Amino acid sequence: LSSVPLQILFYVNGIYYTFYFLVTLAMIVYKSQVFSYPDDFLAPDLALLFIMAILEVLRLYFGSKGNLTEEEAPLGLSLVITVGSVILSVYFLVWQTYVLKADVIINAVLLFTYGLESVLKVIAIAAFV
Amino acid sequence: VAKLCVCDLLVAQCDVNCCCDPDCSAADFSLFTTCSVPIVTGDSHLCSQKAATYSLDVEADPPERIVKLIDQVNPSVFCIHATNYKQALSFSSPEIPTSENFDQLLKQFGSASFSAEPDSWNMNTDAQNPSDANETCRYKYGVPIQTVDAFLRLPSPVVSSWCSDVNPAGFLVNQATKCTRSVSVEKCGNIQAVSMLFYINSSILAKLYEFVFQVNITVQSIVVQSLNGMRTLLNGSDVLRLPLILDELCINIVLGVSYHITYTDAGEIIEAAASFVLGAINKEVLSIQQSFEISFTQVNTKPVPLSGNPGYVVGLPIRAGFRPQGYPFHVEILFAALVLNTNKYSQLTILQSTSNQDCLAAQGTRTPILFGYNMISGCKLRITADMKCQPLTQTLLDLLKGQSFPEYVASFGNSQAQDVLDWVPITHLHTSEQRIYNTFQSSCQIPVSLEIEVKWTKYGSLVNPQARIVNVTATITTTTAKQLPSGRERTIPIISSVVFTDSSSPAEPGYKAWPTINAKLPFDFFFPFV
Repeated sequence: LSSVPLQILFYVNGIYYTFYFLVTLAMIVYKSQVFSYPDDFLAPDLALLFIMAILEVLRLYFGSKGNLTEEEAPLGLSLVITVGSVILSVYFLVWQTYVLKADVIINAVLLFTYGLESVLKVIAIAAFV
Repeated sequence: VAKLCVCDLLVAQCDVNCCCDPDCSAADFSLFTTCSVPIVTGDSHLCSQKAATYSLDVEADPPERIVKLIDQVNPSVFCIHATNYKQALSFSSPEIPTSENFDQLLKQFGSASFSAEPDSWNMNTDAQNPSDANETCRYKYGVPIQTVDAFLRLPSPVVSSWCSDVNPAGFLVNQATKCTRSVSVEKCGNIQAVSMLFYINSSILAKLYEFVFQVNITVQSIVVQSLNGMRTLLNGSDVLRLPLILDELCINIVLGVSYHITYTDAGEIIEAAASFVLGAINKEVLSIQQSFEISFTQVNTKPVPLSGNPGYVVGLPIRAGFRPQGYPFHVEILFAALVLNTNKYSQLTILQSTSNQDCLAAQGTRTPILFGYNMISGCKLRITADMKCQPLTQTLLDLLKGQSFPEYVASFGNSQAQDVLDWVPITHLHTSEQRIYNTFQSSCQIPVSLEIEVKWTKYGSLVNPQARIVNVTATITTTTAKQLPSGRERTIPIISSVVFTDSSSPAEPGYKAWPTINAKLPFDFFFPFV
């Protein structure tokens, strides 16, 4: 049977990620106006944010598909993509050009969500195999 | 943070009211009234920064200073938690020039302005250069006129009144200078600056930096001034007359040069002519005064004396003119140029007061009306019993208005006679001095005063307003001349005046148009519903 908590978590993750993306983008714009943010530093931050968005969409799609069709292959792929998302989230938490307190808060919540999801995915894969 | 002190200005001395000054002792602190610097903190954008607070405890006796090192927390959620960009929070120290990076630093900072990101501007300037190549060949206002060897020289006094030969003549800058040069009869052949050749030697370049087209300076006329000051114009003026010693005099010394340059509106010089005044000196003369002048005329135009460009300049005469003969209707005016007096000081004039103040004796002297100068003048008219009314009225009108009182006044100092709409017609008013109106006006009305009121306004931008004449009203006031018993005579004053009133409206700010948001939805945005 598909894991209901995992599905709920996917849904909540989708909404939260939209919020996260918009807030991070707005804060990058705010930082570029208030602080000195040269183009050499602004470009990587923006690029990584968009890559993270794409990865997130793929990750949620595959995870949701794998959970609902009770197949372990898409779930495994989603787990692998989660690793990439975690690295990117850590980048935004620690290695970004300017890390504001708000950045710390939302990235921490995102990492917590990723952790919880990963645990539930492993349990689901174990159940489907 | 504890070591930073902004108010510590005096070295090894205690600054007044500076609580962070390390040179102050406790006794000094007890004399302070307040702390001028209450807190020294790090960057307040950070989430938590060190701060040192200084305060005076006035309750204690004597007052003492309290220093506290605290951690200040920025409560905002947008405080900087960490940065990975080293230069973010401090000013960067500039590069020290060495022999390796000097050229690059010069290219980056060597001009009048530079931006923090120089590479992004380089592409623009490269693209503009080819089109500018054509522009740099034209002479512009103020650019020194180039000749084959250096510049066209217009010697002028620098600091003292002695001539300096390195003053270049600027394009379109009409100048007239006078300076003193030391000469002597023995050396008169050796001093270059007193010989004609010095001034017409090198040819002028027609275009800037292009040696292909050169304009020779031709000698237009030569005037010879004798020792007693009498000047005669020479007939054949194509002969170069160099200084030579004759009977203990040195003749053909250049006393004045007047250059006339003709240019086109493309910024090229096509003709240059020089008129000389040559004189002679004898053994006692040690210095002469030379005068130099340069004027520019555009090709195919006659020089029109301007009273301002474009607004009138205070002190220059008002330009006025007539409708040409045979054009009585205003509609046809638009096709004909106005007729102006060639002497710019005679275009609009008023009566000039003379010392004997007798109107009929001093006919004909008039003074030009200069812009911005209110004038009043007058004379006294003696009326005897046998003067007839009509000729008297006519004489007085001629006296007040002059022989040719114009009909139009130029609204700008540089209005051309062809642009009739640029000219303001003069409005004539008649008023009578008598307040009580008699039903018979059969008695003689003679004009006694002419008042010209010129209303002008400031036109153009706030920082450089130009004066523009908007209205000219000429008011003639008449009074009744009562018939005198024979033998008696009466003196009446005749007054003419000019008043300039400023009728400018206050400046209005002019803003650029707001940028509009041009957001339109595509045609089929609401597809299923529309």
